[in-house]
Amino acid sequence: MRASPFAELLAALIRQRGVTGALVVSEADGIVVDANVSIGLKAEVLAALSASLYRRARLAAAAAGYGEATFLQLEAAQGRICAVGRSDLVLVAVTEPGANVGLVRMEMLKGLQGGALG
Amino acid sequence: MTSIAVTEAWAEAPMRAFVDDARVQLAVLLHTSGQVLAQHGFGKRMDVMSACALAAAIHASASELGRMLDGKPFSGLHYAGRRKQIFLGVAETRRGPFLLLTVFDENASLGLVQLYFGEFRARLSTAAPEPAKDTTPLNEHFEGELNRNLSALFGRS
Repeated sequence: MRASPFAELLAALIRQRGVTGALVVSEADGIVVDANVSIGLKAEVLAALSASLYRRARLAAAAAGYGEATFLQLEAAQGRICAVGRSDLVLVAVTEPGANVGLVRMEMLKGLQGGALG
Repeated sequence: MTSIAVTEAWAEAPMRAFVDDARVQLAVLLHTSGQVLAQHGFGKRMDVMSACALAAAIHASASELGRMLDGKPFSGLHYAGRRKQIFLGVAETRRGPFLLLTVFDENASLGLVQLYFGEFRARLSTAAPEPAKDTTPLNEHFEGELNRNLSALFGRS
């Protein structure tokens, strides 16, 4: 069976310390395109809600005249959700509170600039 | 506050939660025979009647197609138009299966609708009372009941 075109990108993200989930999600549909997540993480729920969040953040940035949203980071008590997007796809990373967000962000933007999301 | 019109009170809370959470434009809960239980967003009784008749027919066709292809009925249907999308799902309760037909635009997404439909199913299943003694969906008073239900939904006699 052929690996998905996003398998390498997701594997690189999940290798980062503290990253518990990495997903590629359709922004318009909120449906999982590909995912590499730890057991217990509800990929479908995360995909639907994070795609909606990213979409609204992108629209808010555009409405404020700030141009394209480049990186979205949501901090919660038990961890973080990071998202970047391009071409109707959103790359989402779920991390523990102690994860190095700088490295995660770099890996996500590298994937984006490398054309992994199209 | 979101406006929900119902013919059976127990369906109101699950419908309201679904419409509020998923931010859908239209939603109608119906029996598989096409009888309406609750609706949100429809302005005319004819629209609800047509939507329910079509949803019941789509469900019957999709169920049969599912049985032929997969050995069991398909339980959900999604169609994406240019600006609006529809989702039709089945919710099992003690009173039998019910259909939820919903229309949404870019303010929602299929993922969100599916997510909140899962919660809706659980809420509806909890809210559904024991079946009434006569559960025949199309009894001899069907037409009169249908008109009464539609009057209740739209506040007209």
